[in-house]
Amino acid sequence: MESIQYIGEHLLPGKLGHIFILLSFVSSLLAVAAYYFATKHIGTTSYASWRRIGRVGYSLHGISVFAIIGTMFYIMLQQYYEYHYVWEHVSEDLDFKYIFSAFWEGQEGSFLLWMFWHVILGGILMFSAKNWEAPVMAILALIQVFIGSMILGLYFDFGLSEFRLGSNPFMLLRDLKEAPIFAQADYLEKIKGTGLNPLLQNYWMTIHPPTLFLGFASTSIPFCYAIAGLWTKQHRAWLKPVLPWALFSGAILGTGILMGGAWAYEALSFGGYWAWDPVENMSLVPWIILLAGIHTNLIANSTGYSIKSSYIFYLLTFLMIVYSTFLTRSGVLGETSVHAFTEMGLEVQLISFIVFFLLLSVVLFFWQMRNIPTPKTEESAASREFWMFIGALVLLFSAVLITGSTSLPVYNKIAALFDPGFEGKTITDPITHYNKYQMWIAVFIALLSGVAQFLRYSAVNWKQQAPKVMKRLGILAAITVGLTFLTNYWLDIYAWQYLVLLFFCLFSVVANLDYLINFTRLNLKVAGSSLAHLGFGLMVVGSIASGLNKRHISSNPFATRGLLEEELIKKNVVLFKGVPLKMSGYDVTYVKDEFQGNNRLYEINYKKKSPAGEVIEEFNLFPTALYNNVVTKVAAYNPDTKHSLTEDLFTHIASIPKVEADAEFAKSFEDSLNYINYPISGEEPIYILDTILALDTMVIRKFSAELVSTTKHPESEEYEAQEGDLAIGAKIIIKNVEDLKDQWTVDPIFLVRKGQAFQFPGQINEASLRVNLSPASFPYFFTPEEQLDYELISFKLGDKLRFKDYEIEFSGVNKTPDHPDYIAQPKDIAVSANLLVRDTRSGETKTAAPVYLIRGKNQGSFKDVLDDWRLHFNFESIDPESGSIKIRVAKNEQARPKLVLSIAKKSFRTDYVVLEAIIFPGINFFWLGAILMMVGLGMSIVHRRNLAH
Amino acid sequence: MKKIHIVGMIMIAIAIVMISTAADDLSTYADFQTARQSNSLVKIAGVLSKDKEMQYDPAIDPNYFSFFVKDSKGEEQKVVLYGSKPQDFELSEQIVITGKMKDGDFIASDMLLKCPSKYKDEEIYIKAAES
Repeated sequence: MESIQYIGEHLLPGKLGHIFILLSFVSSLLAVAAYYFATKHIGTTSYASWRRIGRVGYSLHGISVFAIIGTMFYIMLQQYYEYHYVWEHVSEDLDFKYIFSAFWEGQEGSFLLWMFWHVILGGILMFSAKNWEAPVMAILALIQVFIGSMILGLYFDFGLSEFRLGSNPFMLLRDLKEAPIFAQADYLEKIKGTGLNPLLQNYWMTIHPPTLFLGFASTSIPFCYAIAGLWTKQHRAWLKPVLPWALFSGAILGTGILMGGAWAYEALSFGGYWAWDPVENMSLVPWIILLAGIHTNLIANSTGYSIKSSYIFYLLTFLMIVYSTFLTRSGVLGETSVHAFTEMGLEVQLISFIVFFLLLSVVLFFWQMRNIPTPKTEESAASREFWMFIGALVLLFSAVLITGSTSLPVYNKIAALFDPGFEGKTITDPITHYNKYQMWIAVFIALLSGVAQFLRYSAVNWKQQAPKVMKRLGILAAITVGLTFLTNYWLDIYAWQYLVLLFFCLFSVVANLDYLINFTRLNLKVAGSSLAHLGFGLMVVGSIASGLNKRHISSNPFATRGLLEEELIKKNVVLFKGVPLKMSGYDVTYVKDEFQGNNRLYEINYKKKSPAGEVIEEFNLFPTALYNNVVTKVAAYNPDTKHSLTEDLFTHIASIPKVEADAEFAKSFEDSLNYINYPISGEEPIYILDTILALDTMVIRKFSAELVSTTKHPESEEYEAQEGDLAIGAKIIIKNVEDLKDQWTVDPIFLVRKGQAFQFPGQINEASLRVNLSPASFPYFFTPEEQLDYELISFKLGDKLRFKDYEIEFSGVNKTPDHPDYIAQPKDIAVSANLLVRDTRSGETKTAAPVYLIRGKNQGSFKDVLDDWRLHFNFESIDPESGSIKIRVAKNEQARPKLVLSIAKKSFRTDYVVLEAIIFPGINFFWLGAILMMVGLGMSIVHRRNLAH
Repeated sequence: MKKIHIVGMIMIAIAIVMISTAADDLSTYADFQTARQSNSLVKIAGVLSKDKEMQYDPAIDPNYFSFFVKDSKGEEQKVVLYGSKPQDFELSEQIVITGKMKDGDFIASDMLLKCPSKYKDEEIYIKAAES
């Protein structure tokens, strides 16, 4: 193929970017090698020089990563659409504040985000890890090698097959897509970016991914320490410095996961914060295993037990992170997940990533297993470490169960490899499935976390302490029973399993609170663990409350539990604009809606009234319809929530009329409306027949339309007059002939503005009629001058002259004339003649005031028309000397043209929303508990860091 | 035998019990034929029959949406979702519905749509009923 010289492309940044990618990859390899030899030479003189090379290598790697990211931001900010990544994630209308979101929306960007955090964490380790620097950094750099390979973008041609290593974010659009447009040298002028998914244009997308990826990246550090411990055979020494890192990772990863939940709850319309989606599960699992590791690490630090398990848990945490990366990025989850990435051809690389580090861990562990110290004696059943270890096992158990179920698509894939006819299995009802098992895990964890605090490491003094501890736990249990009844009075839990769970969680809250106040004496240094455990209990209480007792108030107010099958519980109501609807004690009104950018805000007013009718509570919620970037179509509906201490009121729009949601449909709908023209005069009504087809019957409705008045200066809510407008309007009364109580007034307007025609129809929702004023109505309003046969009449002040059946009196002039078409300018000389016109047959009198104008060298006139008598008056001239004026008068003798209405039947109302409103009781306990848990973890970091030094 | 071994064995025993009960939660993707014979929830993967009528008129009932799905065997069946019609429903490439047959209609309690899109494989997840 002959090559084309493309115009306007910026190829330099892409080339630079790819050089940085290669540099970052090579320098990470250098760091691995140098730190490897440094580790080999610890204690010798060459250690320092190897370490220096390692540091240089890793720093070079870090700089290259920053340079890649910098280059990517540069091409994104410059909107160089010749690059595929820019074209896919950026668009002209993208707000600058979402540039970060656009950066990590794609796979390559999120790999870079992950690498970025490894660079930062590695930098901290270089300065703080002391003796551990060399082995830990060697492993971290090795991880960077693998992640870096994902964006390498190298092609290997093996003749028959070609292999691609990684996906380079600087690929050109024309290299990745085939389209005829690339045959044109100036294709760049014709393409636009597709832009960021509107669903992701919110602040959650700005804060959630970096937090989560810092969480992912931070799990590497305990992993690196564990490998380093095995490698250097220092099985005890790594346990103290690793603990603060593990706690940090637990806090950040936990926060990242919770942010995902908060995002789902606050900004998406799923109506909950956790759905046991595979992607959610696979970030939860490493976190659970990490927590197990933290517990065995604490045991190991205090007693020397559980060193092996600490190794296993920390190794497993990172391996699960890599496994989760594989699941979410390989496309294997397919139809089971809401937010998995699509395939990118990285499967082989992702699998090698897991397999390599799995083998490394397994080989090192079994090589060293016999050397890992274990105390000879068994731990006492009354010791804290025994129950903590049981707790860690329960956590592992939970992780295994979740992983097992979530990996179902992986088994299916493997099974299908061996047996092509294999039919994939799937979990019919995932949420019930996971809840069923995990609730018993929660029961055990809550019990253990409540009791274990009161036990001592190595069961010191247990014989003397036992009666006291037992008594205290007894009292706490009794208090919890009372509290459970009180809570259940509020929640009304119907299944005994949940009552058991509630009891144990409350027990954990009570016991940890007691421990916090009476044993740690609120000493913040050591309060971390009690606070975190208290938080866990509270969190589960919150999820029981909000999960079991969430109720739809948007309909079925009388649906009692059990009477209706689950799927029959109706969730939505239709809310017409301005029409209040009663919903579970609230009067709910759709007040109005307005656009803010591509976001359409609906104002929904909630009012609670006392029996006397006074408003005792009132608030507005603003659920939104989010349109696509060009505002032609709804992309998603986002909720709004009223938060209060005891419950949340969650409101979201389930649907809006299709003509409102889709501009293309709206146009085709308007086109499909069958408008029929009805000429109408003021004298007699016209009739409209509408046939309604019901299932097996036909109903014919008959409406009459009467013309009340017409105007050349219409006004309405939608139409605001501007200078130069040519507008006509009419007032029509439409009646249901069968039932005259049904009558409506419409004011359709037809407007010509700057050469364009606009229609403002009148809509009658009850009759599904839409009334337009047809442009064919113009002859009704305006008479062509050539149709008129003018007669020139000369008046002196006070003259009464006869014209046909009328007597016209010139009663004076007005030097500041008021004529609708005349807009005064300075230096105008303008007068109007006051003409009293009397119909000699009826005796009725009307006034006409045509205007005579001298503006500069031009002179002209504005005519006045007495529409009903069809008389036209033109002010011809003034003779200042004699004081006489000349008026041209004409009567239009032809039959008056009729007004033309175009009326469409079956035009349904479009001012409603379909609303879903849910009350989540006690959900704030969930968030409060979650925050306490993270704060507890955070406080422990400080405490354990001090102990490690 | 150490205590921890006893605990370990108890856990393994529980795990075996759990796994055997969890098997009840699993199923293969069914078709309408099996759904008719079964009385319990089934999951069906299929495609929307675009030429058949779709019914959703909030003005009449905002909680009634019916459409036709063609299952893997090619059988077409009317499906009813007691909820609102999801955004971009017509564009869906694949539909996974969970539910059961009732009076000749398949009543869906849960629906997952897979939509082709210019974005990442963005899917829309609809919960028909609380779980």
